[in-house]
Amino acid sequence: MAAHRFWRRIKRDYGPYLPLSPYLFVVLFPFYWMVITAFKRDRDLYNLETAPFWFKEPPTLDHVKLLLQGTLFPTWLGNSLMIGVLVVIITLLLALPAAYALARMRFPGAQPLSTAMFLSYLIPSTLLFIPLSQVVRGLGFIDSVWALVIVYPSFTLPFCTWLLMGFVRTVPKEIEESAQIDGCTRFQAFRMIIIPVIVPGIITAGIFAFTLTYQEFIYALTFISASANKTISYGVTSDLIRGDVFYWGSLMSGALIGAIPVAVVYAFSLDHFIHGLTAGALK
Amino acid sequence: MSNGGKEMVGVRPTSVPRVRVSTAGGWAHREALQGFLWIAPAFLYLAFFIAYPFFMSIYLSVSSARVGSPDSHFVGMQNYTRLFADPVFWQTVRNSFVFTIGSELIRLVIGLPLAFALNRSFKGKRLVQGIILIPFVIPIALSSLAWKWMFDSLYSVINWMLMHAHIIDYPWQWLGEPGLAMWSVIIMNVWRGFPFSAVILLAGLTAVPQEVIEAAKIDGAGPLRRFHYVVVPIVRPILLVGLLYSVVFSFTDFSSVWLLTQGGPYNTTHVFGTYAYNIGINAGDLGMGAAITLFIFPFLALIVIFMLRFLRRE
Repeated sequence: MAAHRFWRRIKRDYGPYLPLSPYLFVVLFPFYWMVITAFKRDRDLYNLETAPFWFKEPPTLDHVKLLLQGTLFPTWLGNSLMIGVLVVIITLLLALPAAYALARMRFPGAQPLSTAMFLSYLIPSTLLFIPLSQVVRGLGFIDSVWALVIVYPSFTLPFCTWLLMGFVRTVPKEIEESAQIDGCTRFQAFRMIIIPVIVPGIITAGIFAFTLTYQEFIYALTFISASANKTISYGVTSDLIRGDVFYWGSLMSGALIGAIPVAVVYAFSLDHFIHGLTAGALK
Repeated sequence: MSNGGKEMVGVRPTSVPRVRVSTAGGWAHREALQGFLWIAPAFLYLAFFIAYPFFMSIYLSVSSARVGSPDSHFVGMQNYTRLFADPVFWQTVRNSFVFTIGSELIRLVIGLPLAFALNRSFKGKRLVQGIILIPFVIPIALSSLAWKWMFDSLYSVINWMLMHAHIIDYPWQWLGEPGLAMWSVIIMNVWRGFPFSAVILLAGLTAVPQEVIEAAKIDGAGPLRRFHYVVVPIVRPILLVGLLYSVVFSFTDFSSVWLLTQGGPYNTTHVFGTYAYNIGINAGDLGMGAAITLFIFPFLALIVIFMLRFLRRE
């Protein structure tokens, strides 16, 4: 009897968590492994005798030091953040008016153009990196961070425009109508009514543009060769591997520190993020 | 798509008598021109950075263009005939399908129970959801390093666990053995993608009204039949669009394969992206590289047609 009650209580209190625990383990283990590796001494790291899950010798900061002093890691981090911010600005400047016009204005071709915007999101960078390397070369931007700043909006712009169109549609038309009666121009109404109302949408779009940019790899790999111009994703994965030697401790510390900016942005905007993820499928 | 503009003030002034009929200064005034001006920057940008390179790659694929040699000439179908005669290319095609179908199926199978587990309220749900999505948010280049280390030939922690659990009796070469390497790439891709699948599935599940489920329950439908006859039809459109996105991204993936195996061992994990990179950029044969990437296009077009048809019908 008591056992029966015991199991019922277990089920009531922990029921929802039981099926989730294997998922949490699988999701988190690689990150746990990164942390352990980043701070283990080499002798400890390459010791096959004992269980590897905890420190056998005191943790060390040597790997982090090598990363910060022996590589251009701070420069890569700076490059990635700068590119991210610039791309967010460019994306929003182009996407906001386009999203407003496609959602609200009536002009010939508005419908097919909205579809084109949606479809251009499906054109992957894998299809474009070879010709784009020629375009970038032609513009004189090859092997420069500016190559990435001008190319990255090509994948953030379609998605963000699409997302913002959905937000513009949620603004009641009556508000704009009354603004018109009050003598506002269209641009004034857009700036003073639409923009303030869709701030959550702008934040969501900005977050997406930033994370997509920060994650990008193939364009950076193709356009950049000088170490000082690399982004975090490219720099960490290329400069800490010398021939056959992998500096695992430093690689893991680079991966960890490099992940912090996205993790922070993400932690503060979880709801926006989930909304954005599902919006593509739901709208 | 809403018929947004149709009710716009001034467009049909007769139907909105309270507003002064727009003459000069009304918003409908030259709205066509204005609309084009508003969208022009975005579309000019996309024309230059998506449409133009796309057509350029078609040209490159029938030219002798190489990295660093500006004088290229038309060579007809030569790049394509060379490609068709290349066994590695056919291997790449097969790998791309195995990789895509394998990753997508496993993601769904793993994502569905997770979506159900998340589709109820419990303490700390937000936190759990936040943690589950982490693999999807962290740049794949960075998390792939952790996987490369976990799949290491000598110090693989996965081997350590499996050997001590007596599941395997010698250390597996996760990234070095043909056959197994593809599985390793798929495993990492599933790890990174199942949170997305689960979130999309969850969005679908929450779209099912609870009353409908209750009604089915009262009518005596068991969990399986409720799922099949009630949940699936409501959830299908959302899932399909999510799935198609996901398929496109798997099919055109580059980074996860490149960072784990660079297409090896013996080309057994090459997908379109990695093989095109090897030929087009590393070997400098832009024409061949462009031809390889263009093979993605028919597949993409099929998906897009399917998607548009479906969206129109719904």
